[in-house]
Amino acid sequence: MTSPNGNTPRAIPQTSLIRFENVTKMFQEGENERAVLQGVNGGIARGEFVAIVGRSGSGKSTLLNLLAGLDTPTCGDIYVGDTNVAKMSDHDRTLFRRKNIGFVFQFFNLIPTLTVRENVLMTAELSGWKDNDAQAQASRLLQAVGLLDRANVFPDKLSGGEQQRVAIARALCADPELILADEPTGNLDAETGARILELLTTLARKQGKTLVMVTHSNDVAARADRVLKMEHGKLAAVGPQVVESGT
Amino acid sequence: MKLILLKTILRDLLHRPWLTLLLIISVALGVAVVVAVDLANASATRAFELSTEVIVGKATHQIVGGAGGIDDGVYLHLRRDLGLRHIAPIVEGYVGAAELGGQTVRVLGIDLFAEPPFRTYITAGTNVSLDALSAFYTQPGAVLISADSAARYGLKTGDPITLQIGTTKKQITIVGLMQQPNDVSSRVLEGLVLTDIATAQELLDQNGRLSRIDLIATDAEAETIRQTLPAGLRLVRASEQADTVTQLTAAFRLNLTAFSLLALAVGMFLIYNTVMFSVVQRRRLLGILRCIGVTGREIFMLILAEAAVLGLIGSLLGLVLGIFLGRLTVALVTQTINDLYFTLSVSDVSIDALSLVKGLLLGIISALLAAALPAYEASSVPAVTVLQRSDLEDRIRRFLPSLNIFGVIMLAVGAGILVFGQSNISLLFVGVFLVLFGLVMYVPVLTIFVMRLATATIGRVGLTARMSSRTVVQALSRTSVAIASLMVAVAVTIGVTVMIASFRTTVENWLGQTLNADFYVSPPLSGANRIVSMDPALVERARAVEGVDAIEVLRSVTVAAQELGDVRLNATNGGRARESRIFRSFSGDPESIYPQLDAGAIAVTEPFANRHNVTEGSTVTLLTDKGARAFSIVGVYYDYSSDQGSILMSLDVYRQYWNDPAISGFSVYVAPGADVNQVEDGVRAALGGNDVVVQSNRALRDAALVIFDRTFAITQALRVIAVAVAFIGILSALMALQLERTRELGTLRATGMTLRQLWQLTLLESGLMGATAGVLAIPVGLILAAILIYVINLRSFGWTIFFTSVPEVYLQALLVSVTAALLAAIYPMLRLGRLQVVEALREE
Repeated sequence: MTSPNGNTPRAIPQTSLIRFENVTKMFQEGENERAVLQGVNGGIARGEFVAIVGRSGSGKSTLLNLLAGLDTPTCGDIYVGDTNVAKMSDHDRTLFRRKNIGFVFQFFNLIPTLTVRENVLMTAELSGWKDNDAQAQASRLLQAVGLLDRANVFPDKLSGGEQQRVAIARALCADPELILADEPTGNLDAETGARILELLTTLARKQGKTLVMVTHSNDVAARADRVLKMEHGKLAAVGPQVVESGT
Repeated sequence: MKLILLKTILRDLLHRPWLTLLLIISVALGVAVVVAVDLANASATRAFELSTEVIVGKATHQIVGGAGGIDDGVYLHLRRDLGLRHIAPIVEGYVGAAELGGQTVRVLGIDLFAEPPFRTYITAGTNVSLDALSAFYTQPGAVLISADSAARYGLKTGDPITLQIGTTKKQITIVGLMQQPNDVSSRVLEGLVLTDIATAQELLDQNGRLSRIDLIATDAEAETIRQTLPAGLRLVRASEQADTVTQLTAAFRLNLTAFSLLALAVGMFLIYNTVMFSVVQRRRLLGILRCIGVTGREIFMLILAEAAVLGLIGSLLGLVLGIFLGRLTVALVTQTINDLYFTLSVSDVSIDALSLVKGLLLGIISALLAAALPAYEASSVPAVTVLQRSDLEDRIRRFLPSLNIFGVIMLAVGAGILVFGQSNISLLFVGVFLVLFGLVMYVPVLTIFVMRLATATIGRVGLTARMSSRTVVQALSRTSVAIASLMVAVAVTIGVTVMIASFRTTVENWLGQTLNADFYVSPPLSGANRIVSMDPALVERARAVEGVDAIEVLRSVTVAAQELGDVRLNATNGGRARESRIFRSFSGDPESIYPQLDAGAIAVTEPFANRHNVTEGSTVTLLTDKGARAFSIVGVYYDYSSDQGSILMSLDVYRQYWNDPAISGFSVYVAPGADVNQVEDGVRAALGGNDVVVQSNRALRDAALVIFDRTFAITQALRVIAVAVAFIGILSALMALQLERTRELGTLRATGMTLRQLWQLTLLESGLMGATAGVLAIPVGLILAAILIYVINLRSFGWTIFFTSVPEVYLQALLVSVTAALLAAIYPMLRLGRLQVVEALREE
């Protein structure tokens, strides 16, 4: 879907959890500035599963980082609910992220010195959950991802797929409204990747979470409610059927 | 702070034992040096305080006289005629005691009946039997010594002790042992031989004379007593006497403390390096934590908490090590105090709780300060960039101009303090530190410059060489700190070596100019600030020996000067004028100085002039046995025998004002053509029966230089520690570099670089860092040497030192730097051998 004047398409659902308006991100490269995102507008509805696709360097991971509050745009606004994360201090963004956003990374990024259970309940503890509640929540999620029996081992004893399941449990543990995933199957074989994707989407839907996922995979994008396609720092197309071969 | 975060970081520590150990060792080493020096200083001070208790007891005032002491009639007059009751006569002197380990001990002669109000520990609770006390009074040569000393040297009641007094030996007998109820009071008695006053007068050849009279009096009573005192006697507050002596060693102790703080500062570089290394290693972990919602502030506190825990462990270890080192250091410190200042016996290091608390706090605070910057660095980066390693280097590079400006400010403030802060020695040390660290601020920018030169020169040899110099620049945040810490350590080595060498050359030249006689005769126990005497008749016996051309007699005593307190006075009948070069300044013609001295003027040493702010033309009022007399200064001469300074006076003038016929020693000039050895043997034979030391010109010069070298032994030890700390710094920087570049190294191996080539690369990187540190250390070391010579020493000790260039030290510095750096590369090279290429490539 392209806007009538040919500019960046606007796609802001009625009940948006996320709205981003005129988001631009410039990076300094020596003496020159390079625009990675150029005036991007868009929105994501509450409970929606959105896939962001695009070629390498198109700006999709940068957009995800901005939505997560991991980085700030050079200009523009990003609303998560009623909060403009683009205008918050680093400290406030962190506190916001802690309570409202769960993150799943391509390389799992579990903390090697914590056990599986500790990795999972960490986000809940950081969000100020009572210990008993956090423990119960971690057990529930570990049960859900099928790793309750491995709760007390350290991550290096797990396979890649198992590690990513722990990461999913960790992302959900503090009960955030928004789950952001950066190529969560990119480092797994096709079969394991499919299972992980199934688990992530099922859990997200079951718990009514909003899921935003950056991916290179057509199969992954095909499962999304909606696909945002990035091209040269702009949102080139929006819609369930925009995935092209090779993207 | 959340428990789970603490758990995360502490478990991470256990996964990195080497890093943890490195940080603990760096804190421990720094703390150990500070604690060792502090304990040694505190032990020496405490020993001095204890010996002051022996001197002063509960006396409020003391009556003191000139070198000849006080006529004991004065005591009788005060006690009988003025009816003073709290008054005690004292005769004391230093003697050698063969049976007490050959050490110098204090003979204290007391009147047992006058003592109780003054020194209760001698008379009460000492467990001395009545028999012993009666023998003490009645038996000639009867003495008491402490039970501890007796036990240490295997002595018992009834055993004889041979004392070396002046040029003669005398025997005494132990009639009782003093047992003290507690450790402190028993240490008071160490090195003390207690005897009846009459015995002491006989032993020390002071018949009819007292060393001093102790009083307990109110200020009003003291004033009345003061007015009745005959000329030449002074009434002083007892506390003033003690203070004057502690002041003597203040500069010496401060210098030691400054050096120990420098070791701690180098240790701080190491802590910085290690914490930075740990931050680099954990960037991924920190990045994850930031992504899942840990705030920058929490990260900052986490890294500081870790540094505090490791700082605490390191400090505790440092305390143990410091106590051990302190036991070694106290001997060196005591030796120097004995050589240069006053007689002090320190049997053991006293573990001062304050020193330990100071060491502990210093260790933890240093660890926190050094960790603050890396912690801030890790916490202030936006979450997304924590996962990107290049960001840190970009930020450091952007920070460079500010760093240079900061360096200029530190240099300017430091130089300002050195020029205008002369009145406060502690402030001057702050100035030295500011200049040193101001120069350190330029290390990153100079490293870039040196590496560009390296790329342009050795870079032509091949790719490995080019890569090595570029890597040093790319990882500037780590490499520049390692280079800086090695540079500081080596610069301090250069600075101190050049200072000591300059000082030694200056002293050697001075000895050459002043030691003109062929040989010197003195009593065996001569030493700093000690009054020793020998029979003047010996001079005539020596003069009669064939081949003796001339004899110069020296009387060296401590006298009182109005407003200046006690001062050292050397009186000589030096008929031979010395070279005018030994005078820093003088009034009139140099040839006329000695005639002016004969006419009643004085010359003063340079430290005396600096300390008391006098120069030629000024007058010094001395309290002679004939009352106060003003003496005019005609010259200021270089002298390195004492930092307290002294006055030079003609012996005839001295004897005119003081009733003191004794002499302290004499020097003999051999007639032209006569054989020096023969004449020396002749003099020895002529003085037979008297225990004297006859030292040739050469032997005396060597003995002086032995004392000189001994004085600086402790400085040498501190330098070694500084270099050791810097070595660990380079090692940790190399390890950090390698860890950061695991993937790059894996790629290099995968694309065909052999292990040998990787080793070459590591060696080149390390060697370049070492060479840069060495090259930069040379100018910094010279600046430091100049400050030490022209500011610190001049202000601390009052000596002018002539700068001597020591070219070999520069080459040594370069060699030490490069060798330390190359040695530090060995472990990282071994690790390279274990590098799993596939694993390394998988590293993100």
